Amino acid sequence: MEPVLDNLDLFWSGFLRSLGIAVWAFVGSMVLGTVLAVFRVSPVPALRAVGTVYVAVVRNTPLTALLFLFAFGIPALQVNASFYVFGVSGLVVYTAAFVCEAIRSGINAVAPGQAEAARAIGLTFSQTLGQVVLPQAVRSVVPPLGNVQIAMVKNSAVVGAIGVGGELFSVYARLSSAQGYERLPILLGVAAFFLLVTLPAGALLAATEKRLAVAR
Amino acid sequence: MTRSTRTHRRTRTLGLTAAAAASLLLLTACGGGSSDAGDAPEPVESASFEAGTTMAELSQAGAITIGTKFDQPGFGLVGLTDEPEGFDVEVGKGIAAQLGLSEDDITWVEAPSAQREDLITQGSVDMVIATYTINDTRKERITFAGPYYVAGQQIMVGANEDRLTGPDDLRANPDLKICSVNGSTPSENIREYLASPDQLVLFEVYDDCVTAMKNGQVQALTTDNVILTGYVAENEGEFKLVGEQFTEEPYGIGITKGDTAFCEFVNGALQTMSEDGSYEEAWTSTAGEYEGTEVPTLPTADPCV
Amino acid sequence: MGTTAAEQPLVVARGVVKRFGDHTALKGVDLTVHRGEVVVVIGPSGSGKSTLCRTLNRLETVDEGTIEIDGQPLPAEGRDLARLRADVGMVFQSFNLFAHKTVLENVTLGPVKVRRQPRAKAEQRARELLDRVGVGSQAEKLPAQLSGGQQQRVAIARALAMDPKVMLFDEPTSALDPEMINEVLDVMTGLAKDGMTMVVVTHEMGFARRAADRVVFMADGEVAEVAEPEAFFTAPTSRRAQDFLSKLLTH
Repeated sequence: MEPVLDNLDLFWSGFLRSLGIAVWAFVGSMVLGTVLAVFRVSPVPALRAVGTVYVAVVRNTPLTALLFLFAFGIPALQVNASFYVFGVSGLVVYTAAFVCEAIRSGINAVAPGQAEAARAIGLTFSQTLGQVVLPQAVRSVVPPLGNVQIAMVKNSAVVGAIGVGGELFSVYARLSSAQGYERLPILLGVAAFFLLVTLPAGALLAATEKRLAVAR
Repeated sequence: MTRSTRTHRRTRTLGLTAAAAASLLLLTACGGGSSDAGDAPEPVESASFEAGTTMAELSQAGAITIGTKFDQPGFGLVGLTDEPEGFDVEVGKGIAAQLGLSEDDITWVEAPSAQREDLITQGSVDMVIATYTINDTRKERITFAGPYYVAGQQIMVGANEDRLTGPDDLRANPDLKICSVNGSTPSENIREYLASPDQLVLFEVYDDCVTAMKNGQVQALTTDNVILTGYVAENEGEFKLVGEQFTEEPYGIGITKGDTAFCEFVNGALQTMSEDGSYEEAWTSTAGEYEGTEVPTLPTADPCV
Repeated sequence: MGTTAAEQPLVVARGVVKRFGDHTALKGVDLTVHRGEVVVVIGPSGSGKSTLCRTLNRLETVDEGTIEIDGQPLPAEGRDLARLRADVGMVFQSFNLFAHKTVLENVTLGPVKVRRQPRAKAEQRARELLDRVGVGSQAEKLPAQLSGGQQQRVAIARALAMDPKVMLFDEPTSALDPEMINEVLDVMTGLAKDGMTMVVVTHEMGFARRAADRVVFMADGEVAEVAEPEAFFTAPTSRRAQDFLSKLLTH
């Protein structure tokens, strides 16, 4: 473990960078994914079509391909941003498709009578979703959403390939191949720091599930 | 992860194509045709080595596995032929010849920067010739023969870029971004010249750096001069090299740690290549084809330890 | 029509056709409900009576025909439809109370969100309504903690909280245990006596006889007979109604 302890400051800064990426991607994908899920259950056919096509295309594209498309394709359209922004955006767009499907399945799990009753007392589509359907969908949505977001944290390791420097996997590359440390301890160090994100996330998830179960 | 699986897959397909290519080469050899870049060194007829040495093993087996870069123009690049070509490859053929092995006896394996030590320590290859800079951390896990070439890190910019004339201009222009490859020695060397870590953009391969340069997302690329001359030559008129070489990167040949006898043999083989002109020929037929390169002289070998 | 506003019918359905794939559930149904009138729709299962009830506030869209509530044609979608639905109360077979909200919240949601009433006022009114249907002491509980009969009475209070012009009951007692049916029917009878306009789809012939102004008998997606309850139950004119009633008696 010496190679890790020797470079703890580098690991720590890499960890903070990776954590930042994950937090942005989490927030962005939750917002975009929820909007897409609302599209997919909306009464407007055009919105439903947008949601369906988005999910079909994005969910079936490899993340790496999507990231390179962001990093090198968008600049070709004269829109420029840092690779960090491209990396996070790519991660958001990718993860949102899975968030959308998790939420949609949660919405579908709410008994149809609930939405009917809401509509029958005159709630609009958005009120029906916001007041009645989504709050009930949350409970069945938490476990799959948690899986999606934990997968996102792990997927975020890929952004190092498109110039988003300083995150944990760049630290790994720096230490193991440029500075010639043995790879295994460095890799274990990287894995440990990822667990530092995913394990608390998992615990938070379990606690949320429990709390929601009690609320019933 | 993706990296290593890709390499494995490539290694496997390479094994197949290498066999196919070998049989093809045999056919053409019978027909008296000569093969690719430079005349293949003639295998030494009467190679005999002390029993138990690596040389004896390889010579007896009639086969050698060499790791090299597959994506480095001038040094090790797999093009349309599925066989790597470049200076490292020619040096490998020269050493193999002195083991009594022809180029058909060589199996080439891709050796990306991050995997070179592992390929050697795991015994997947007999040697690595892959723009492999000799340094002390690496020496803890492997032994270097050579050096057979001394590269130097330089900076490449767009043809019209005049703000950067060398690494020292980076600090004064913090908005300029410079690109290199994750985990490479040049990416570490450049850090002391940066205004902030964000000025350095790293990818997995240099080709992505070139794409980013063409998009205007980065303004410079830094790595060893020999690699850069390759990109300048490939993209005529788009790029130029600026400033002097600001590091010395002695390229060595990686072998199993502590195999002193093999190390000395390789050094001797390099010396022989230098004396009989095959070293120079290996250069001029590969990396030396690019404009702005000089024919190197074989550096003095480090002691084998 | 030459009628004054007060005499203008509240619900008018004309030539309503509803198809589910190859199956035609409603084959051109006409129905008129006047203000203060209690119309009970009966008929064998599969006759389309439930579907008819659901088309009246457009929980089911219709394929042909028109439906007017208080002189207004039903809007197709969006806010106008939501506004109109607020005036049409509905009670479902399976109660459909909002599972994540307390009894009180169930009753106040519509008034607060749709009618924009102040919460305090909405809660005061909700408690009055809950008292009226006999579940005032359950206000802070979640629906799952109540019996079916209690839940259905809360559902009636929820609908009443919107001050609807008309109440639709879609088989309100069919999902209840027998001992709870009467507590719900009593509330409904009370409503009818108070002059609420009601369309009730039910199998409770006793209630139809007691509370209905008119009985609509449906069979095979059509209205087979419309009559006053006494006449219908003692001397049905249509063949299908005679069959239906004779089976009930031998049951």
